Amino acid sequence: MLDFIIILPLLVVGAGAIALMLLASMENLSEGSTALVSIGIFAFAFAVQLMVSVSGNVAPYETAFSGMLTASTFTKVAGLIILACGLFSCMIAQTYFTQNKFSSPEFYSLMMFAASGMLLLTMAAELITLFISLEIMSLAIYVLVGYDRSRIKRSEAVLKYLMLGAFAGAFFTMGAALIYGGAGSTRFALISKYLATNSFLESPVLVAGTLLVIVAFLFKVAAFPFHAWVVDVYDGAPLPVTGFMATGVKTAIFAVFANFIVLDNGMKGVWVDYLFYVAVFTMFAGNLIAIGQNNLKRMLAASGIVHSGYLIIALVAVGTENFTGGVIIFYLAAYAAATLGVFTALAYLGGTDERRDSFDDFKGLAKVRPYTAAAITIFMLSMAGIPPTAGFMGKFYIITDAIRADQMLLAVLGIVSSILSMWYYLRLVIMMYFKEPEESFEVSGVSLAPVGTMILAVSVFAIGFYPVFL
Amino acid sequence: MIANYLSLSVILFCFGLLGVISRRNVFTVFMSIELMLNAANLAFVALSRLHENMDGHVLALMVMAVAAAEAALALAVVILLHKHKGNLDTNVFSLLRG
Repeated sequence: MLDFIIILPLLVVGAGAIALMLLASMENLSEGSTALVSIGIFAFAFAVQLMVSVSGNVAPYETAFSGMLTASTFTKVAGLIILACGLFSCMIAQTYFTQNKFSSPEFYSLMMFAASGMLLLTMAAELITLFISLEIMSLAIYVLVGYDRSRIKRSEAVLKYLMLGAFAGAFFTMGAALIYGGAGSTRFALISKYLATNSFLESPVLVAGTLLVIVAFLFKVAAFPFHAWVVDVYDGAPLPVTGFMATGVKTAIFAVFANFIVLDNGMKGVWVDYLFYVAVFTMFAGNLIAIGQNNLKRMLAASGIVHSGYLIIALVAVGTENFTGGVIIFYLAAYAAATLGVFTALAYLGGTDERRDSFDDFKGLAKVRPYTAAAITIFMLSMAGIPPTAGFMGKFYIITDAIRADQMLLAVLGIVSSILSMWYYLRLVIMMYFKEPEESFEVSGVSLAPVGTMILAVSVFAIGFYPVFL
Repeated sequence: MIANYLSLSVILFCFGLLGVISRRNVFTVFMSIELMLNAANLAFVALSRLHENMDGHVLALMVMAVAAAEAALALAVVILLHKHKGNLDTNVFSLLRG
């Protein structure tokens, strides 16, 4: 029974997705009510996840379904973040679809399918469970990216994402096959047991297998050699989907990446040296791309690359003994709150067909909409890592963790990159406060997104005050 | 014996890899990805015989199911792109560059 309690939030979201898909055949189902229903389901799943997390009788590293899934504080908090991302993405979608008419109930259903894939992904402790949950998530996201079939830009984005995503999936499968060949099992626990008695480097199959698996993960989080797709895909996707992809997918992949990398100390030791370079190049490549962007959505996509770089620093610094993942999850929460905050604001500022998209369109926003401008400023400061926001605390924990793990150079480079990134975050703030408006277009319609913006603006501070569970 | 199967699997995987990188037709690229997945399946089944357990066989079936789902989606995307441009050359799709 305990096994089912662990996956209870997943069951809620999955059942909700199926129910909504069936309800979609009803003629008189209005778009607004579907959004509300899906928000309700996400909120309920969030509450269930919270209850499962605080019930506390589950040991830190418990496995479920005979070693197929793992449940720890780490995976539970990752689940909470994912469900919150789903909730706010539905709010974004509700507002977005008052101005862009290509919605149908299946949109929200796919959103929930993606969320259930993500939840399974955070808990996966077996390579094929991992592969299937990865594909549940990815297939739903592919469809969401290309949901607006009339626009060629969206179709191109889905082509790019699907091609590279499937490519990464093939890498992952081959890696899983080779690891299975080397260790004789696909379960993390048994692989770990095998590696404890046998040297990692003596088995070329295992080395190749783990390399392919790590490459697939790096693809999905848009780390350095595989980061080129992310700007185009995030730009091409509709706004709610971009928000969900940037936060939910990243949380899920980093959760499972961390679970995988701490399998064995020897294995981690081999790959950490390379992840060091990946982290450094990811941060600086992301910064370079972001500085050159004039479109806000593309800038946020590129800044997502930079944040992946910081998270890889956290992965490098993480210890295989007594792994809690507190630093990683804290940073993910801070990043998700700030990013989704900007996207909720964009949802009601953007206008039809996302007309307001470049930095220049935000000139003088502080005079027209002072509260929204203040909220966006908070989100930007959090992403740039300025105290007392959650983004600062997240970066602080990551840097101190890196120093504790004797990665002094990495810590210094992380700080340098953080200073570089202020250029493009503060540019938006300057545009809003110190420039005169050129043209302003008012957006109308009752919507939920402003509420979401305010909640997230508060939570950016709230998360910052929450102590990390180390 | 296992070495032969594994080499074949790796060779097929590399063919798929080359196809994805060098081919410009969307259709051929997706076929190459399928080839990569099937290379992994071959490795799974061969290694399952080596370890004398059924895990690999089951896993190969799972991978096939996922590959089918992915192929269905890929075909839908191909049709969508063909409707927009009347051409499946990846060079045509250049709205999002950079």
